Amino acid sequence: MMRETWQRLKSDPYGLSGLIVVSVFFLIASCVWSGLLGQGWYEVSGTRWEGISAEHWFGTNLIGQDILQRTLFGTATAFEVGLTVTICSTLLGTVMGALSGWYNHSWLDEIILWLKGVLDAIPFYLFAAAVAFALQGSPWAMHVAMIVTFWTTTARIIRGEVIRIKQRGFIEAARAIGLPGLKTVFRHVLPNTFHLLLVQASIVFVAAINTEVILSFLGLGIQDGVSWGLMLAESSQEVLAGHFGNFLAAGTALFLLLMGFNLLADALQDALDSRRIVR
Amino acid sequence: MLKIKILLILLVPLMAGGCGQPPATGDVSPAKIYRHAMDGAPGSLDPAQAASIYANFVVVNIYDTLYRYKYLARPYQLQPNLAAAMPEISEDGLEVTIRLRQGVHFINDPAFEDGTGREIKAHDFVYSIKRHFDPVTRAQGAWLWQQRIEGLDRWKAEGSDYDLEVSGLRALDDYTVQIRLTRPFPQLIHTLTQGFAAIVPREAVEKYGQMLASHPVGSGPFMLTSRDSVRVVMVRNPHYRKEPFDLADEGFDHAIHEAWGLQKLQGKSPPFLDQLEIEFINEGAARWNAFSAGEVDFIKVPVSQFDSILSRREPPQLKPELAERFHFEASSESGFIYTNFNMADERIGYHPDPGQDRRNQALRCAMVKAFDWTRSNETFFYKIGRVFPGVLTPAVPEYDAAGDTSYIQRDLEGARQLLAENGWNEETLPVLEYGFPNGVTERQSFEQFRNFMTDAGYPADKIRPLIFATYGDYQRAYSAGKVPLINSSWTMDYPDAENLVQLYYGPNASPGTNSANYNNPEYNRLYEASIAMHESPERTAIYRQMNQLLMEDCASITGISRTLLFMWNKDFAMKPDRSFLGGYFMRFVDLAESLNDAP
Repeated sequence: MMRETWQRLKSDPYGLSGLIVVSVFFLIASCVWSGLLGQGWYEVSGTRWEGISAEHWFGTNLIGQDILQRTLFGTATAFEVGLTVTICSTLLGTVMGALSGWYNHSWLDEIILWLKGVLDAIPFYLFAAAVAFALQGSPWAMHVAMIVTFWTTTARIIRGEVIRIKQRGFIEAARAIGLPGLKTVFRHVLPNTFHLLLVQASIVFVAAINTEVILSFLGLGIQDGVSWGLMLAESSQEVLAGHFGNFLAAGTALFLLLMGFNLLADALQDALDSRRIVR
Repeated sequence: MLKIKILLILLVPLMAGGCGQPPATGDVSPAKIYRHAMDGAPGSLDPAQAASIYANFVVVNIYDTLYRYKYLARPYQLQPNLAAAMPEISEDGLEVTIRLRQGVHFINDPAFEDGTGREIKAHDFVYSIKRHFDPVTRAQGAWLWQQRIEGLDRWKAEGSDYDLEVSGLRALDDYTVQIRLTRPFPQLIHTLTQGFAAIVPREAVEKYGQMLASHPVGSGPFMLTSRDSVRVVMVRNPHYRKEPFDLADEGFDHAIHEAWGLQKLQGKSPPFLDQLEIEFINEGAARWNAFSAGEVDFIKVPVSQFDSILSRREPPQLKPELAERFHFEASSESGFIYTNFNMADERIGYHPDPGQDRRNQALRCAMVKAFDWTRSNETFFYKIGRVFPGVLTPAVPEYDAAGDTSYIQRDLEGARQLLAENGWNEETLPVLEYGFPNGVTERQSFEQFRNFMTDAGYPADKIRPLIFATYGDYQRAYSAGKVPLINSSWTMDYPDAENLVQLYYGPNASPGTNSANYNNPEYNRLYEASIAMHESPERTAIYRQMNQLLMEDCASITGISRTLLFMWNKDFAMKPDRSFLGGYFMRFVDLAESLNDAP
């Protein structure tokens, strides 16, 4: 199946270009994490609002920090937030969805559905901002806010899929030989939802990066560090004065990464579509 | 559908006309409307809660105070407002007698019997000051008179019963107030110009309760007609007393004020406007856009625009194309910006072990030396802020222009040496949190501060941000002593240097105004020795000595006074002000001659 998926992905030029863009950004993030790039994001290495030069490729900001260094470090921030939120919310959503689907119509299912309903009823950005505000001061406030709100969609998708899969013959067989329920779920049911999880995870990743930028712009995001959202917030005071470095650098990086991820997610969805793979 | 379209076509011009044309005062002359932009909004319009400059701007226009400052005279000079004259003060300085004008009325309001505003009497002033000592009011101005007016604190302790008399705050008759002080308080009259001291009718407080915050009932030159989070609209109080404007008495200076058209105010009785609108626009870019689009008539120019409007920095001069359309003034603020060390924090402040105490002092002094005021001024204040050593700002006569400025000179080598000599290195230096409320400029200030310190060898990861959602949260945190490095600013309440030196007086420690929790016995002794003194060479010498002590102890990285740039539409004859109780100037704003003469 994986080979088939890869073949399909390779033949989709948009999907492939998305993959290349995401890979380049991931490579940059990896270089930042390993200390090869962007380590001078906080240093004041120039004077205020310097233009493009050999020393400062994207110019400098108000206090003389190099905008390129900050953009590169912002890439790592985006991936750090994206990966953390995606992994945690996908895991949480998967477990909750699996339990809800496996034990559907039970009290456990009712409670999980009720919880999802409550969380979904609150406007997303308002809720994220409220959680981030309540946990202010914690460097993980923003992550928690997103994880708490993002798991519900994953859980809903997995629940439906689990309900569908548990009617299948091989699950009946597993039950017949006396395999415990939860073992059946984690060993035989969830692996069959992998294609859905992969697509959903890519969507969550995009949403997490997007939300980080918005929350940081509003001052509820990154505490110590730099992100594209903070750079865009800085640019709000600079653009009218005719300085576009922060705006162009952060805006372009954000646009490229989100576009790349969206193309990749669409291509993955097509490539993993079981109706097209199973002949 | 066609009918609806026709209706819309007919209604739109009507609605547009309705929005831009408020009620005219006469049948023929257009209404005079002035729209002022501010960078923040008031939380409450109750004088007892008028703690911010934004609240004061509105409160002093809706209510009356006993005294005010002269419109044009600088340095600031006191002037009777609702008081009939300057106060009579006993020889020992402990008894102050103030006579009120007669025949001044509150505005008409349902709070009064038959809805007609009654005359203001001396007991209204007494009641208004007492409110600050009534816990129910949740007032914020009591600190102005705490421990200073005889019996007032005891009145509060005994339950704040308004029917009980306070020995130090009495209405001798309907038009005479007598204040007895516990010790001489030369700044008393200044406190009576504050929005906090505005006179409120008891009937309105009893009728509206907490809603007085949005339903003011005063006797000032304007009356509130509407208020929301982005705007207040006030109209002229038609019954406001007639007080012809006297150029000479208000401090008119031909060289400065004639170009602004103020000479035409002679003999006219304020307020001159029919309608006064104050727009609250937090974001600098949005405020500038509103001004550029002609939606407001005045702006305090955001620093990000300094580059685009100035043709010269020293002294600031407006570009010719802008000077054709707008009046301009550069004004140094009375307050200042500083970064206090929390002396109650053993990591950086006082320490019970004398050796560590000395090392902490050396650490603070090294950080003072590492701070680059020139760079900070250039970054955030367009190089036109005024950097000064200590707490005596250039706005007060006690400021020593010829004094030693080594405290504000960057000395990286000296900083490194001081750290090394006192055993501070990357391992031993403490982790310190730098507090600030959420905001782009505040974060940039932090990042620049951290860079200054890393230049002197302080590890970047040991200076961390401590971010608060609002300024109120931040203020509560540092007032509770929870912030080691406190970046903040002080706006003077009244034009007297006492308001500056009290910031480091030991007994004023947190939650008081001394957020540094500085407590030097010698400084305290000098403050107490000067407390009854008026401005004089003797007091100046004491204040300068206190300033020196503060610098020797390195209790604060200080300071800079910002240069504020004001621009306003040439259609208006006015001198804007933001210091102290700047809102007073609005009663004197008028349309310029050219507009008055226009058809």
